Amino acid sequence: MAQGYSIWIGLAVIVALCVASWFLSPKGENQVLWRSSLMLAIISCYLMWLITFLAQLHPLIAPRRSDLREAYLE
Amino acid sequence: MAPRQDTPFRSADMSMVQLYVSNEIGREVVTALGELGLCQFRDLNEDVSAFQRTYTQEIRRLDNVERQLRYFYSQMEKTGIPLRKLDLDVDRLASPSTTEIDELSERSEKLEQRISALNDSYETLKKREGDLTEWRWVLREAGSFFDRAHGSVEEIRASNDNDDAPLLSDVEQNQGAPDAERSFSGMNIGFVAGVINRDRIGSFERILWRTLRGNLYMNQSEIPEPLVDPANNESINKNVFVIFAHGKEILAKIRKISESMGADVYSVDENSDLRRDQIHEVNSRLEDVQNVLRNTQATLQAELNQISQSLSAWMVLISKEKAVYNTLNNFSYDRARRTLIAEAWVPSNDLPLIRSTLQDVTNRAGLSVPSIINEIKTNKTPPTYLKTNKFTEGFQTIVNAYGTATYQEVNPAMPVIVTFPFLFAVMFGDFGHAIIMLSAAIAMIYWEKPLKKVTFELFAMIFYGRYIALVMALFSVFTGLIYNDVFSKSMTLFPSAWEWKKPDNWKEGMSLTAELNDHGYRYPFGMDFAWHGSDNDLLFSNSYKMKMSIILGWCHMTYSLCFSYINARHFKKPIDIWGNFVPGMIFFQSIFGYLVICILYKWSVNWEEAGASPPGLLNMLIYMFLQPGTLPNGERLYKGQEVVQVILLLLAFAQVPVLLFLKPFYLRWENNRARAKGYRGIGEVSRVSALDGEDEDDSRPNGHGPSFDDDEGVAMISQNIDEDHEEFEFSEVMIHQVIHTIEFCLNCVSHTASYLRLWALSLAHQQLSVVLWSMTMELALVKTGVLGVIMIVVCFYAWFFLSIAILVCMEGTSAMLHSLRLAWVESFSKFAEFAGWPFQPFSFDTMLEESEELKEYLG
Repeated sequence: MAQGYSIWIGLAVIVALCVASWFLSPKGENQVLWRSSLMLAIISCYLMWLITFLAQLHPLIAPRRSDLREAYLE
Repeated sequence: MAPRQDTPFRSADMSMVQLYVSNEIGREVVTALGELGLCQFRDLNEDVSAFQRTYTQEIRRLDNVERQLRYFYSQMEKTGIPLRKLDLDVDRLASPSTTEIDELSERSEKLEQRISALNDSYETLKKREGDLTEWRWVLREAGSFFDRAHGSVEEIRASNDNDDAPLLSDVEQNQGAPDAERSFSGMNIGFVAGVINRDRIGSFERILWRTLRGNLYMNQSEIPEPLVDPANNESINKNVFVIFAHGKEILAKIRKISESMGADVYSVDENSDLRRDQIHEVNSRLEDVQNVLRNTQATLQAELNQISQSLSAWMVLISKEKAVYNTLNNFSYDRARRTLIAEAWVPSNDLPLIRSTLQDVTNRAGLSVPSIINEIKTNKTPPTYLKTNKFTEGFQTIVNAYGTATYQEVNPAMPVIVTFPFLFAVMFGDFGHAIIMLSAAIAMIYWEKPLKKVTFELFAMIFYGRYIALVMALFSVFTGLIYNDVFSKSMTLFPSAWEWKKPDNWKEGMSLTAELNDHGYRYPFGMDFAWHGSDNDLLFSNSYKMKMSIILGWCHMTYSLCFSYINARHFKKPIDIWGNFVPGMIFFQSIFGYLVICILYKWSVNWEEAGASPPGLLNMLIYMFLQPGTLPNGERLYKGQEVVQVILLLLAFAQVPVLLFLKPFYLRWENNRARAKGYRGIGEVSRVSALDGEDEDDSRPNGHGPSFDDDEGVAMISQNIDEDHEEFEFSEVMIHQVIHTIEFCLNCVSHTASYLRLWALSLAHQQLSVVLWSMTMELALVKTGVLGVIMIVVCFYAWFFLSIAILVCMEGTSAMLHSLRLAWVESFSKFAEFAGWPFQPFSFDTMLEESEELKEYLG
């Protein structure tokens, strides 16, 4: 489902969204505002998701805890 | 040139215009332009004092009317009549004509006289009423005293002519005697009756006692109800006194003393019948006075009531009128041509609108003289006019709080609309808190109209930033999902990538390590909930958030730096691109861009599979500077790392001399070349035609008309043109560039470190909400039975309100301030100059909005 290549899928999605927001922004005085804000927001969100995903892609440490109940364990 | 469309991206194009308006319609023109709110008039009479200006008389007159209106308002407050406030959103006031204003001022003059007359008579009547009331009390109290005294007067020795007479005659003997109605006068005893302030009664008594050596009999009683002093409407307690004494002179003395002590003496007849008549008379007079008083007050109230209906509107009209004349005072008046000449900054794109407005006013007035509007060329810097709407207003305000952008440079508020709330959200990432904030923001926007009227300052401030709060909350919802935090708990939206396997020798409380699944599945959105609450959660999330801070900071700064390229392109200064932008960018990227790439690369490598130990990036960066060409402990990130790092380091340091010298030397070369060709600076010799060098110093009298230049058709009337006078000074440019270079290079380091606040604050926020949960809800959840029920209710309220107070309000404010700093310092220092001055057009709307005096009149 979410493998390492997901970041490229995500990239494709946000590129599509950015293109869409470039062309679908309402015309007029505030078009530049719409375009800049939408694209910046989309890219910022993608960036944050990307960083979080990459940080967990090849984790160097594993979660460790000692308060688990038996039923929870596989 | 075709005018560009005005966008929020940069300041609208501004032009300086000159207006020639016939004297008769000056007021109408300015009123129309004030409604439009697009012209910022320049003061053309700077050297004329406020008293000598053309329209000072009118302003004085309007000041007087304003004073009268305020007088009405104070009278209304005194009588408790509510003011009908003017809601500018509902009623728009048509601009009045001169005659209407005259009528208004006449009317308020008349009303003032009437009201002050009514007030005067009201006060006299009130005084009379007070006196009569006091008299009535004296009559009543003294009367009862006399009545008591008459019972025993017979027992007093009747006269002293008969020495044989007994001092106390027999009661029976005197009963039915004809002289039973004997009075005090018969005994030559007189009395003084009056009213005195209760506080003074002690000293009054003492003084009388001392001056008359005890030859008096004083009787007093308190008036049970406090009397009202008409002078200041305060209630005072008074006493009635009756003093008996022997002899006319003593009585006169008593009178004098009473008067000097501030007592009021009233005549009281000792005969009970006469006294009864007196009481009747006083009562009827009091009634009359009270009737008149009631009538006067009713009239006054009716009058004020009527005024209260339109007072706000009048106040607004007068303020507008005053503003118009104040503006007209900035105009230059040409007596010979009977025209007013004005200079104003206007947005170039709105020139046609202004022109047609002017045309309309002239046509309506039916004047044959047209009003002329002329665009003039000037070397003055135009004001910065950044158009805003309901949404961008708040963002623009927080940028303007830092400074006004230079004319036509990239509006720093553009990126702020996203970056400010986003960086806030990185620090505020909690889904639950974000939802609370989002609902508050949506509520403020949904009930925008009614909430607009709230005048409580703190709320008004939050309300002003409602759209900022909305965007902040939206991003916080997103980051909350990414951090997988909802009120410090986690959500299990997707299956975890980690598995907890039960070892063979499992026992309760055993420390277990999760195992990563082996088919490459990773938690698709945000943090894996397996980390949540684990023993080494912080170890992982700190590393993740720290690296994220660096990457986001790098993106933010690179993005901001790119605007300096756009600015340099727009201002057609290629040297700023080659001397500042390019070397700066290379310097920044070869150090911090490299660091970011290393972070991303390190994440993307499966170190376990590669069989190598992952290098510490911090050490790597330090070694890159301290020992270029070597790696710490042989921790290698990739092949050829040493060479790349040395090249990057050299590249970075090679930029320092470029940054230092390229721009100043290029500018010197350019300047020398221009001089060699014989060009000279504009400011050095030329002056705009109307003002030649020689009359630079003489002060210009009022009404001194401008000279008209035929070839340009324009002339600047105003002075101080020489502000743009700029001579090339190499040392200055060099010093400026040295400072810029040092600042830039050091800031690259310190600003990057500054972004670590993103990590610190998000960590603090998360830990604080964990602590709050464990100190309230967790305590309640482990209890059972009745105690558990009670505790869960109490703890829930404690937890919920503390969550809102501390985590949403307090933490939100702190995160907002940190994000604000990142915008102001870290981002703006990369591109914005902030050397502009704001466009403040003459507008009735802003005037009414900003006026403190009018606040109480506007609803």
